[in-house]
Amino acid sequence: MKIRTIRYIFKEGFVNTYRNKLMSLASLVIVVASLIVFGVFVLIALILEHNISIWSEQPQLEAFCYEDLDDAQVDQIEEAIKRISEIKEYEKVDKEQALEKMREKLGENAAILDGYGAEIFPVSFIIKLKDVETSRKVVSKLEKISGIQKVSYSQDTIEVLSRISHWVKLGSSLMVIIFLTVSVFIIANTIKLTVFARRKEINIMKYIGATDWFIRWPFIVEGVIISLIGAVLAFIISAYGYKAIADKFSQDQFLANAQILSLVDIKDVWGVLALSYVIIAVVVGTIGSSMSIRRHLKV
Amino acid sequence: MVELKNVSKTYPNGTVALRDVNLKIDKGEFVFLVGPSGSGKTTLVKLLLKEEDATSGEVYVNGYDVTSMTRYEVPYLRRSLGFVFQDFRLLPNKTVYENVAFAMIITEALPKEIRRQVPMALALVGLSRKANMYPSQLSGGEQQRVALARALVNNPALLIADEPTGNLDPETSWEIMKLLSEVNHRGTTVIVATHEKSIVDEMKKRVVSISKGVIVRDQEKGQYKDEDKNNQIHI
Repeated sequence: MKIRTIRYIFKEGFVNTYRNKLMSLASLVIVVASLIVFGVFVLIALILEHNISIWSEQPQLEAFCYEDLDDAQVDQIEEAIKRISEIKEYEKVDKEQALEKMREKLGENAAILDGYGAEIFPVSFIIKLKDVETSRKVVSKLEKISGIQKVSYSQDTIEVLSRISHWVKLGSSLMVIIFLTVSVFIIANTIKLTVFARRKEINIMKYIGATDWFIRWPFIVEGVIISLIGAVLAFIISAYGYKAIADKFSQDQFLANAQILSLVDIKDVWGVLALSYVIIAVVVGTIGSSMSIRRHLKV
Repeated sequence: MVELKNVSKTYPNGTVALRDVNLKIDKGEFVFLVGPSGSGKTTLVKLLLKEEDATSGEVYVNGYDVTSMTRYEVPYLRRSLGFVFQDFRLLPNKTVYENVAFAMIITEALPKEIRRQVPMALALVGLSRKANMYPSQLSGGEQQRVALARALVNNPALLIADEPTGNLDPETSWEIMKLLSEVNHRGTTVIVATHEKSIVDEMKKRVVSISKGVIVRDQEKGQYKDEDKNNQIHI
């Protein structure tokens, strides 16, 4: 294809988009709406992912041994822990360290520990997992090891979070697929109306020897223009919208202190968002317009 | 230039449009295809453009084997010939100049070539002064002349006109016919499908008469016989 032909194709695409202002606008609105919905789901998924990784960084499990075990028995337990494949890393807290920790915890009141030796404290293991979702399984494995008295873990938060994340990911992929399919059909419909309005023109072009691609490209350009403008608008709206919510969130003392949820900084995610918008726009625009023109090329 | 060998065409609904047609048109000829509506005349033209495929037989146009041609080769066949329709088929939102230039743009011609050829084609049909007008601002005869200029701008070796004067008054029809005749004198093969008796009779060219899907008469310097209209078969 020659450069002048490409120039012709782009010119035609732009002119036609402008000429069908009303229909272009209608598709634009739908594209923007679908992309915003898509963006919201992407952001929610990113936030959850972010929070889960924060939680994963914190010690998740702590397995306490009985106080009266000797060193050999403790070593046996350590061996058993090493064999659990879901564990990323662990840290052994011996009796001395446990006493020290308790002192720190008590602060001024540490005096009440005077007269007690380190032997009253159990040896414990602080464990980090590779994947939070396996926490329940690992806990039951740990509990089966003889000599372990008790396993403490922030069960609720981790489990709820991982379960929510699982469902949100599933649900949002589903919603995104539905919305994108709808967008494809709506763009296809817009272009179909354009094609229908210009079927005579297409017919003439076929008769004077235009190739199918020569006829098809301007329509594809039209579809891509509409969806790219949609992507830009959707990006502006969702980025500013998110920023506004994030600002509100950080200003709110209660939420900020509770540290239940930490938001992702928009600076870290705008790239992902913009890139996925553009890719989706191009794909949706291309599929939409190619779908609608096929039938009219058979002359 | 054009050759049909034992060509038959049956439409999917069972209508037999052409029955074992043999026709040969040489380079530089001017041929009228005559016959009443439903005679198969239009089907024959459609076969030449590969708008329809022959059910059996072979069709050769401009050195192309039309019968065995794939869908992707069709545009190139059509570029090699000029085609004029009864209803002009100009692009309404393009000027006269742009309409003619468009036939060259689709062939990816050089802009320099386009700037040279389009004014020449418009001069040939006598519309140089109306180059910047839109089709809606022109009379029917002028529109058909634009269509003719578009058909000729790529210098085709063969020009096919399907009822080119069907929508025009007698006087304008004559102008178009004179133009076609001139084009023929310049060396282009011309095929005109028509049922305009007075024109066919006056022009004294080769006349191929089709009736009920069969070529019933093929005559040099022929006339449009009344029998052609009555669907009687003369051999």
